Amino acid sequence: MNNGRATPLITSVCYVRLAVSEPSASARFVSDIFGLQRVADQDGEIAFRSDDRFRTVSLGPDSADGASVGIEAWDDAALEEIGRRLRENGFAVKEASVSDCRRRYVQSALLAEDASGNRIDLVVRPTRSGRRYFPPRDAGIVAFHGVGLRTIEPARDLAFWRALGAEVSDWVGDIAYLRIDGLHHRIALYPSQRNGLLYAAFEVEALDQIMQNSYFMQESQIRIVQGPGREPASRQMFLHVAGPDGTIFSYVNGMAEIDGKPRPARQFPLAANSLCDWGSESKDVPELRAPGG
Amino acid sequence: MKGRYDMIQLKDVSYVRLGSPDLESAESFATACLGLQIAERGRKDLYLRSDERSHTLCYSEGDPNDQTVGFEVEDEASLQEAAATLEQLGRAVHAGTTQEAEQRKVRAFIGFRDPTGNHIELVVRPERSGRRYFASRDAGITGFSHIGLNSTDPARDERFWTQVCNARVSDRIGDIPLMRVNAIHHTIALVRAPKAGIQHINHQVESSDDVLRSYYFLNARRVPIVFGPGRHPTSGARFLYFKGPDGMIFEYSVGVDEIEDEATHRPRQFGFEPTSFCMWGAKPAGMTLPNN
Repeated sequence: MNNGRATPLITSVCYVRLAVSEPSASARFVSDIFGLQRVADQDGEIAFRSDDRFRTVSLGPDSADGASVGIEAWDDAALEEIGRRLRENGFAVKEASVSDCRRRYVQSALLAEDASGNRIDLVVRPTRSGRRYFPPRDAGIVAFHGVGLRTIEPARDLAFWRALGAEVSDWVGDIAYLRIDGLHHRIALYPSQRNGLLYAAFEVEALDQIMQNSYFMQESQIRIVQGPGREPASRQMFLHVAGPDGTIFSYVNGMAEIDGKPRPARQFPLAANSLCDWGSESKDVPELRAPGG
Repeated sequence: MKGRYDMIQLKDVSYVRLGSPDLESAESFATACLGLQIAERGRKDLYLRSDERSHTLCYSEGDPNDQTVGFEVEDEASLQEAAATLEQLGRAVHAGTTQEAEQRKVRAFIGFRDPTGNHIELVVRPERSGRRYFASRDAGITGFSHIGLNSTDPARDERFWTQVCNARVSDRIGDIPLMRVNAIHHTIALVRAPKAGIQHINHQVESSDDVLRSYYFLNARRVPIVFGPGRHPTSGARFLYFKGPDGMIFEYSVGVDEIEDEATHRPRQFGFEPTSFCMWGAKPAGMTLPNN
């Protein structure tokens, strides 16, 4: 993953910024229902914590600089290298302004777009918090885990991530699970008719919290998009919950680690039992469905 | 309990015998839904396996109110002592005939009724099978493990099971005792009910994956799920309860704690409330919680 470098170019998925039609109503979902800690309201963006980072989720109005996914780069040298590689591969990249960085709680950044038009921020020194994370309810969230992205250009988008050093861990049909650290995946690309964030996933302590949150959502009459379930490829348990403006917020736990000996990416067929080992199905999100499923 | 008597030493639960007017439905549920292996199919009996034993569940053509649970004791001498103890305490004891023992695939047995009127059998040398268990569907069953037993008076029946049969209370929910006869957290769970009967039959499965898989599997086959998927805070087990033929409730569970120190274990008291039965938030549907 280091492409011959001593250190990797990117180290984590560090935030999602969502553009929503009603930020304050959506904020109630994110804190009261989903269970993230609301920490700031700055430049029209409401920020939430899920771990020791200052914030991992922001909700803003549907404006030009609305939505993006933050990827932490190792340092400014890595950021420079990333810029060079992305331009070389024909992707649009621009330097973030001071106010762009301020809005993102980072020291420096490159603002890029993949081939589908998903905005990806490559950032250096995202802000951490000295105080520990204190959630509004006992949802058992441990950390922001990763994202699922819709892609209308799977091959080109994969080239984008490979330029950053990501590797495919496994395929389900043309869904690609991308590895950037010791875990099976932090980013998954889902072929779709449109671009955008499919889900933001938050790790919880154990199966107990996946199930507790499942019953909590049923009692709160919040729509569960899929789950409780378990991805066969990554062994990750999940509960996909319908969040603001169609974005899915997910609780996850138990993802397999991949370290040591490299192995080729495995191919699973695009079938219901490749997407869930337990038998859960998504009724109405096409990216999470198998044909005939 | 009057006078001196020898305590009956139960080793493990051995089998359940259920009457059923429709053996065909019982067989189809046991194999296609529950996932047990058919050991033997007689004209009026259906023997089912769930582990290394020759059978752990037997359906006999007859009245579904005929429900019996068998417990293993050490040897024939223990069985004779147990019969003497029960008679001393004024309980009628039926000495099993050779033919009845053959039907049960045991060396010898006695039958009696507990204070609620549940039909209990004590057995010696229940048969094991040389061939390993091979399930009819991949439910992940690892074995028959415990029963929920109806009680018209849990405090009285707790005294019977603990003071006559050497069961020990592991935990209580309200006045409902969960009792063990070996290291496993519970083998007998008393359930307050208006009359005698087996309230549920538990099989252990390999992993919580199996509990969740069966939840979706049984749901798709329209088997009524009556409680779960959930997790008992008492034993720590992840569970799923569902309804089979003649209204009998079956449970899959995994991760039942073992009592580590028999000498120092003190039963914990849980309040009689839903969270004492499920720490995930599942609510029973179509199944009454004990005490209701």
